[in-house]
Amino acid sequence: MDKWILFPILLPVIAGSGLLSSAFLEYVRAAKRHGNGKTAGFAPSEGNLKRIHILTGTVLVLTAVSAAGLAWTGDRSLIVFHLMKDIPICFRIDDVGRLFVTIVSVVWVAAGIYSFIYMKHEGEEKRYFGSYLIVFGILVALDFSGNLVTMYFFYELMTLASVPLVLHNGSREAIMAALKYLFYSMCGAYLGLFGIFFLYRYCDTLTFTAGGTLNRILAQGNREILLAAVFVMLIGFGAKAGMFPLHAWLPAAHPVAPAPASAALSGIIVKSGVLAIIRVVYYIVGTDFIRGTWVQTAWIVLTLITIFMGSMLAYGEPVFKKRLAYSTVSQISYVLFGLALLTPTAMEGALLHTVFHAFVKCALFLTAGIFIFQTGKTRVEEYRGIGRKMPVTLWCYTFASLALIGIPPASGFISKWYLAEGALQAEVGIFRWIGPVILLLSALLTAGYLLPVAMNGFFPGKELREEADKQEPHAAMLIPLIVLAALALVLGIWPNPLIEYVRRIAVAVM
Amino acid sequence: MNKMIMMIVVLLPMLSGVLIPLLPFRNRRQMMIYIETAVLLNTILVFLMLANPPQNALVLFKFTGNLSVSFRLDGLGRIFAGLISALWPLSVLYSFEYMKHEKHEKYFFMFYTITYGVTLGVALAEDIVTMYFFFEMLSLITLPLIMYTLTREAIHASRTYFYYMTGGAAFAFIGMIFILSYGTTSNFVPGGVIDLAKVGDKTNLLLIIYVLCFCGFSVKTAMWPFSSWLPKAGVAPTPVTALLHAVAVVNTGAFTLMRVTYYSFGTELLRGTWAQKAVMTLVIITIVYGCSRALKETHIKRRLAWSTVSNLSYILFGVVLMSPLGLTGALSHMVFHSVMKICSFFCAGAVMYQTGRTYIYELDGFGHKMPKVFVLFTISGMALMGVPGLCGFVSKWNLVKAAVASRMPLAYVGVAALLISALLTAIYMLSISVRAFFPGKQFDYGTIRGVKDPNWMMILPLTVFAVAMFCFGLHPAPLLELFRQVVSVF
Repeated sequence: MDKWILFPILLPVIAGSGLLSSAFLEYVRAAKRHGNGKTAGFAPSEGNLKRIHILTGTVLVLTAVSAAGLAWTGDRSLIVFHLMKDIPICFRIDDVGRLFVTIVSVVWVAAGIYSFIYMKHEGEEKRYFGSYLIVFGILVALDFSGNLVTMYFFYELMTLASVPLVLHNGSREAIMAALKYLFYSMCGAYLGLFGIFFLYRYCDTLTFTAGGTLNRILAQGNREILLAAVFVMLIGFGAKAGMFPLHAWLPAAHPVAPAPASAALSGIIVKSGVLAIIRVVYYIVGTDFIRGTWVQTAWIVLTLITIFMGSMLAYGEPVFKKRLAYSTVSQISYVLFGLALLTPTAMEGALLHTVFHAFVKCALFLTAGIFIFQTGKTRVEEYRGIGRKMPVTLWCYTFASLALIGIPPASGFISKWYLAEGALQAEVGIFRWIGPVILLLSALLTAGYLLPVAMNGFFPGKELREEADKQEPHAAMLIPLIVLAALALVLGIWPNPLIEYVRRIAVAVM
Repeated sequence: MNKMIMMIVVLLPMLSGVLIPLLPFRNRRQMMIYIETAVLLNTILVFLMLANPPQNALVLFKFTGNLSVSFRLDGLGRIFAGLISALWPLSVLYSFEYMKHEKHEKYFFMFYTITYGVTLGVALAEDIVTMYFFFEMLSLITLPLIMYTLTREAIHASRTYFYYMTGGAAFAFIGMIFILSYGTTSNFVPGGVIDLAKVGDKTNLLLIIYVLCFCGFSVKTAMWPFSSWLPKAGVAPTPVTALLHAVAVVNTGAFTLMRVTYYSFGTELLRGTWAQKAVMTLVIITIVYGCSRALKETHIKRRLAWSTVSNLSYILFGVVLMSPLGLTGALSHMVFHSVMKICSFFCAGAVMYQTGRTYIYELDGFGHKMPKVFVLFTISGMALMGVPGLCGFVSKWNLVKAAVASRMPLAYVGVAALLISALLTAIYMLSISVRAFFPGKQFDYGTIRGVKDPNWMMILPLTVFAVAMFCFGLHPAPLLELFRQVVSVF
């Protein structure tokens, strides 16, 4: 029965590989045919496109349903094979994995459906949907991973598989951004691996266990080196989450991807960094080992720097998608800040913010995609008056923005409340109040960089009042956006089941 | 099994190699069949020998006194011999296609086949004299292979090669003499043969000699500061660069160092001394240095050669950890690196053979024209950088496990060096793949019209290597068990 865990992992990977190899063969054939001259981009024929959409849609839904279904029907585990004698590749569904896999499924399906229309103007659908499905499978595997090595395995595969999404449009800028993404992620992964080597020696097991598995006797006398190893891991896995100092790839890579891919990257892929850090700190090392050490202090400082810097950069950024990418840098560090405080309340806040940010950021990027798709404009000041053409889209944007800023009753308020409360409870000296202050400052900045788009969109001023023919996008683009925006709102109004759930996780690990 | 087989597997390739220019082949095809049969036969004999290892030593002849040339098969030798003989027939197959348009190919194949026997001689050597004998012979026999094209550059490269090798051998010789005079025996004995009573208070001298000897043997592995011969030797035809300068010759260097460190000087004596720290420092420097040079290099074969410099030092890093775990790591990287590097070299060779292009910036868009070669190249690149699921990860894991277990601060630095090197590897390997598959929107495919994948003789070895990378990466347990048995004697 537990073998079914492999289903939501293998299905999208196999389907995606099929699409990719078919795309690749097409390339090769065309390169042979058009020996002279350029090969144009590959826009599949209408019937072909339909088949791609049906395949992708079926696989997406099947995967999402089976993954969520497996996750919410009890704890399961499965040892796939032994990589080395004492290192099994194994899957185990636990509370954290359950939460993450649900977010992944929702966002992936939403952005996937949206892509059906959006990708018409980017072309090369086979390659795009192929990679998109593969990454989905790998993400499910990552969330279900039962030990550190399995997680690392899929973590690296995820990086490699998501590169084609970034360089999709094939421009020089995209290729450079993709390489930047690749090398930063590799750098991060290797830093993480450095730590794994040490933990392998000083832990009883690398299987995730709430509360940690560090062997106290072995660790004694090697405290400093272990702390250093943990710190290196935080920096390394933090790279994927866009934490300073390895954040620079994110504002380069997210905006050049096609909008639904940026939504998935910014909403979900960065969260794998968060997941990795949760696993390392709360499930392998244990909070007691880090609490009160220089590692905790340094980690908090880094997250606060990132929060502030990300918001500032977003505030000053005129290109809409880039602005959203900087916003991701800042927002993910809210989550990391919550994790760094090492108190149950802060961790609740962090997990809640993970969920909310995933939906909100995805919605925001989808909005950006709609603007680009309908108008071809990319800069914020060009969106003046856009609310008259696309009122529904802009309303969704506004709700999502409110959630991200943290205005009640939208969802971000709840997570930020818990984060601030957690900071006040934590024994972290001066950061007890500096933390909340920076959170507030950043919230102000968030309002400053998100709301003007909505305001200028609805109230462009007198001179632009004339041109106001409706330009709402296709329903397949609009509905995912509405669903995500609604989630951002609804989860803020009825948050209790979710809060209960994350409280259970937080209590179990501390 | 009869111990004579050890002599046969060493002499058969030498003899059949010498015969190549003498036999009256009617056409190229006959020659190909002859060579492949000889090599394959020898490989089969080697594997038969490995399956039923002969217990006793075989004394071939005596120089004088207790100096003799003799063979004995032990665990370490089994692994090296197995590795060499698995790779040789595939490389020969690849060479047939690659050398098709070259002149004097008979002489090429003569030296190429002889080298097989000589390398097996190193693997089977029972004592340090025999090993030294074959070690020297290997330097000499491969010299014509580097000089092969007879261009100015090739002659210059072979001269450099010769100077480095002679110099290295001289230092190695010092070490050998020392072992002969201070050891209880010249044979290889797990744990070392140094007679502490004879050494007395001259331990420091012994350590100095060890460092010198280490440097001497490590010239063959192209350790910094003796590394520049290897990229220069890249002028040789690709089968030579791939099999000899990424596997046979350089691994011989690593193998001899394992012998000297674990079987002659003994790790008990060396562990924790300044000598260990000194050589480990050199090794760590090489790991990073090789990668950085690879990154800077735009000539594809020279880039891979610098990558070999760095990767060979991974093996040496395992060796100088001076623990059974370290040796396990070293052995696994020796085997896995051979497979990965030979694959990437053969891919580079396939590109050169098909198009004559040798610089990386000329490879834009090649992934669409030579899809098989570049998919395989990407796989080998990912294996080299240590993506889990491929074999590079397994050996890296073993090396680092040993390093962390040694609890030496310098070894921790080594771990960092390994990871920095992995990142640099990712950059210098994957940037080639990205360029080949994603040349950018404006790329004009007309400039690479007519480029296509090579035929099966080149693709088959590559595919076998790629499959091996996956197999070793996903299920390394049997092989690791074998390594564990080898090091269990310590």
